[in-house]
Amino acid sequence: MNPTFHRTLGLLALAGLILLGVGLSAAAPEADAVVMMTNDLKFTPATVTIQRGQTVEWRNTSLLVHTVTADPAKATLAESVRLPDGAPAFDSGTLDPEATFRHTFTVPGTYRYFCVPHEGAKMRGTVIVE
Amino acid sequence: MAYDYEGLAVGGGTAGVTRNRTLVFAAALALAAHKDVQRPLGLLGGPITVEVRQPSGGVFVALPDQRRLDARVFGTPDMPRMTTGTPGVTGVPPMARETEDGRYTRMAAPSPFGDAHVVLPDGVLELTATDATATDAAATEDEVEMRASWKDGDGNTYEVRCCAMLATHGMEFPTFGGVVTNHILHGFTGIGTALMPSEYAYLAFWGMGEVRKNGEVVDAPRLVHGMLTEYVRTEGYRLATDEEVTPTRTHFHLMVAPFKPVPEQLTFEQDPVQTGFTLPNGMTLPFWHVMFENLEVDADRG
Repeated sequence: MNPTFHRTLGLLALAGLILLGVGLSAAAPEADAVVMMTNDLKFTPATVTIQRGQTVEWRNTSLLVHTVTADPAKATLAESVRLPDGAPAFDSGTLDPEATFRHTFTVPGTYRYFCVPHEGAKMRGTVIVE
Repeated sequence: MAYDYEGLAVGGGTAGVTRNRTLVFAAALALAAHKDVQRPLGLLGGPITVEVRQPSGGVFVALPDQRRLDARVFGTPDMPRMTTGTPGVTGVPPMARETEDGRYTRMAAPSPFGDAHVVLPDGVLELTATDATATDAAATEDEVEMRASWKDGDGNTYEVRCCAMLATHGMEFPTFGGVVTNHILHGFTGIGTALMPSEYAYLAFWGMGEVRKNGEVVDAPRLVHGMLTEYVRTEGYRLATDEEVTPTRTHFHLMVAPFKPVPEQLTFEQDPVQTGFTLPNGMTLPFWHVMFENLEVDADRG
């Protein structure tokens, strides 16, 4: 086999692996905390503590549709949502089974969020940002 | 107290049955003026058409359980309430209730109404209903077209379709021509079982439908009841008491009860639903009581 061709092929393969690695890295950076959404209408763990600027990922591991909602305008019960002063509201929208949602927290404080379809069943969670 | 299939409470003692049949007859007489009306009056302001859809997500399927008893609905052993009507349909005889420290605690036997449930995947609901006729009658302008389906872990598909015919008038409680909108039901109302909490229904219907498994009709005709109500589950998906209802959220309930009406006798007979769904104990679930909660709702008047 032509050694030049062989070397070129090898460099292309290496470049491909690097690009693939960068691509994967960009698509799915490690979340700083992971919360599961379950069939028994719980966020698990119910409370996570992270540092300012870190990201939480929610994974819908249930058979049901859930949301991750920290928006007072979308809550019908006052106790469903709590936001620190200056923190923007956020809402995942509908999350089908196996879907994920991420949010990065830039304002310290205690956040309480809920699931819209299961607000009546008290499906709520808390994020503490230090 | 008599017990029958799968441990469901289905009747009272001889005296209780006699008394309840008498009361069923009395309730039927209260509706008797309506049952032959061929041209009933319409809904004030005109018909309302409601569409309810669940495009994706699972469902909650109720399993037999002993319902907690709410003093607001059932009173106390010294002053019991909701004792009349066919046991399991509207009546809850005192002998079917457990007591402790001078209060009712829970039903003595399992029923379709309780906290036990299982979550099953791939729930789809497509419902269009029109409420045009205001009252019970012999004929109705109300309409219902519903298909509801879900699956189990083995890939079997369960489906309920309704309504080949609407229950245009009730035997034991009113059905408002088959469809009713914006009304309170269940609990202390006497409209439907008291084992469900008193709850505002934005839409409810009663009609004859069919039960399918994997596309095959496995039970028909069956009395099917559906309703879009305020949210009557609480933490842990426990069936709420009247105080625990969340008025600002809704969900849809589908019920195929283990009873069939016997109009000529003004009574209901026990008749387990052939659901084809096997419980963990090997028995077949004798009813469908299914909740859909990922809903899109639309309604128009006129």
